[in-house]
Amino acid sequence: MNTRYSDNRALPVRILSILGKVLILGTASIFTAFPFIWMMVSALKTKADILNTEIFFPTVPQWSNITSIIFDSPIPRYIFNSAWVSAVIVALQIVSGAMLAYALVFLKFRTNKMLFAIVMATYMLPVAATYIPSYIILADWKMLDSFRGLIISSTVSIFGIFLLRQGFMQIPKGLVEAARMDGASHWRALWEVVCPMTKASFITFGLMNFISTYNNYMWPSLITKSSEYFLVSQGLRAFFIRDGAYGTEWALVMAASAVVVIPLLVLFAFTQKWFINGIGGETGIKG
Amino acid sequence: MSAKRKYKRRYDSLPTVLLFVLPALIPLIVFWIYPILRTIYLSFTNWDYISPTYKLVGIKNYLSLFRNPRFYEALWHTLVFTAGTLFPTIILGLVLALLLVKNFRGSGILKFIIFSPWITPTVAISIVWSWIYKTDGGIANTILTSLGMSPLKWIASSDTAMLSVIIVTIWKSLGYAMIFYLSALEKVPGELYEAGALDGAHGWRQFVDITLPSISPTTFFLTIITMVNSLQAYDQIQVLTQGGPSGSTRTLLYMYYQLGFNEFNMGQATAVAVVMILLTVGLSLIQFKVSEKWVYY
Repeated sequence: MNTRYSDNRALPVRILSILGKVLILGTASIFTAFPFIWMMVSALKTKADILNTEIFFPTVPQWSNITSIIFDSPIPRYIFNSAWVSAVIVALQIVSGAMLAYALVFLKFRTNKMLFAIVMATYMLPVAATYIPSYIILADWKMLDSFRGLIISSTVSIFGIFLLRQGFMQIPKGLVEAARMDGASHWRALWEVVCPMTKASFITFGLMNFISTYNNYMWPSLITKSSEYFLVSQGLRAFFIRDGAYGTEWALVMAASAVVVIPLLVLFAFTQKWFINGIGGETGIKG
Repeated sequence: MSAKRKYKRRYDSLPTVLLFVLPALIPLIVFWIYPILRTIYLSFTNWDYISPTYKLVGIKNYLSLFRNPRFYEALWHTLVFTAGTLFPTIILGLVLALLLVKNFRGSGILKFIIFSPWITPTVAISIVWSWIYKTDGGIANTILTSLGMSPLKWIASSDTAMLSVIIVTIWKSLGYAMIFYLSALEKVPGELYEAGALDGAHGWRQFVDITLPSISPTTFFLTIITMVNSLQAYDQIQVLTQGGPSGSTRTLLYMYYQLGFNEFNMGQATAVAVVMILLTVGLSLIQFKVSEKWVYY
């Protein structure tokens, strides 16, 4: 039926093409996995091991490197900061994004198209161009160097608005109109009719933005200066360049990176399908 | 029936619309639209952040920027970095997607591995890469020497620093492009291939005549997204090279950061920001224009 996969080429050609495929995929996956593997084996090395380029695996795994990061370093605190700040930000972004996307798709008002054009235009602008004035605004509001400042400056996600708008447009308008005629408010129509039907878009939105806020570096590092407010990227970099560590404590630095990265890889392993089906499928592009 | 028609014609009431629009629109105005306009305004002033007063200086910031060789270096580095990350990411992402679109044992694991750099913090993995790139005792040089090649200085030399940062960026974004292509390839209607096969399209011709046009919207989308991301790359540069050695990885964004947040020369910094905005808009417009010739919806 499907000629896409039928293969009636000569056997040697088929073997060659399979070999080529294995070679490319093998190289690509070793290239991508290698830094993670190197991080993990380096994290378990002694100072002597790590300077010896002949050794790939640690002679005796130094689990104490990992435990000292978990129990005697500020890294867990940064992870905790990142996790809860991102959770709050994403919750706010979902509510504000869902409401705006609902308005764009289901509400009738004169400036609807113009509003969408404005949102779309901001999507392409380099966000860094907003940083100096945004910094001044937070300074005026006395919100520099605080969790409040981090949260309040990120309550809207343009990417999320696109993702949800794209999902909402798949819903037949009649369904929402029927709910309205049964007396449901727009608010209830959004959360009880539209939201359950576009659950996948919401989950993708939540996961993608959680990860990117959690990892975010430039903006948080500009507005927070005290380590108690550091998100994980800034904290990790501070740990990396703290006096003396650079260049001498590579094993500890790798252990810190591993402690930050491994939970994310585990989270990703369990939520992979939402990323893979979600981002490819709902990008606002036809075809 | 008539009630329905009546409902369809009516606009929603202003308070309802505002209620739904404002929770996103207010932050959008305060932290996006107003700051962009403010950036443009500040680029015509001589503000140094510390003084409470400042005055309009016309296009002086732009003139001194356009006379500054550092600016042209940064502009060039930005273009090299953008081109150097854009094409490999898109091409390799497509190759990997083509090889993985048909499921086989282990293809799920491969997708997981190749996408995983995208979800990890750029700072964390850049720290790992700076350890890999270390001139003495770094694994990259160990591998090069064992292959009989001469070791490189990677991020420690102005000849190879840009290449090193580009490699990390491709490593990070490859999986993202692959995922988009995977879902685009799955959506190419099978009938197109069947019709093509009847016309004798196989292998390479099939790829050029059927596959590439069918996925062209995805290519277009990825080109814009990767370009915008590359123009704004900061994390990996900050960790790996801080714009060095001797400015060889200083992009416009990094120059903006140094002028604004290290030197507090807000007038010059915002002028660079405006150039970045114009560059982004300009490159996007060119792509929209060119896309009419090769994107098929």
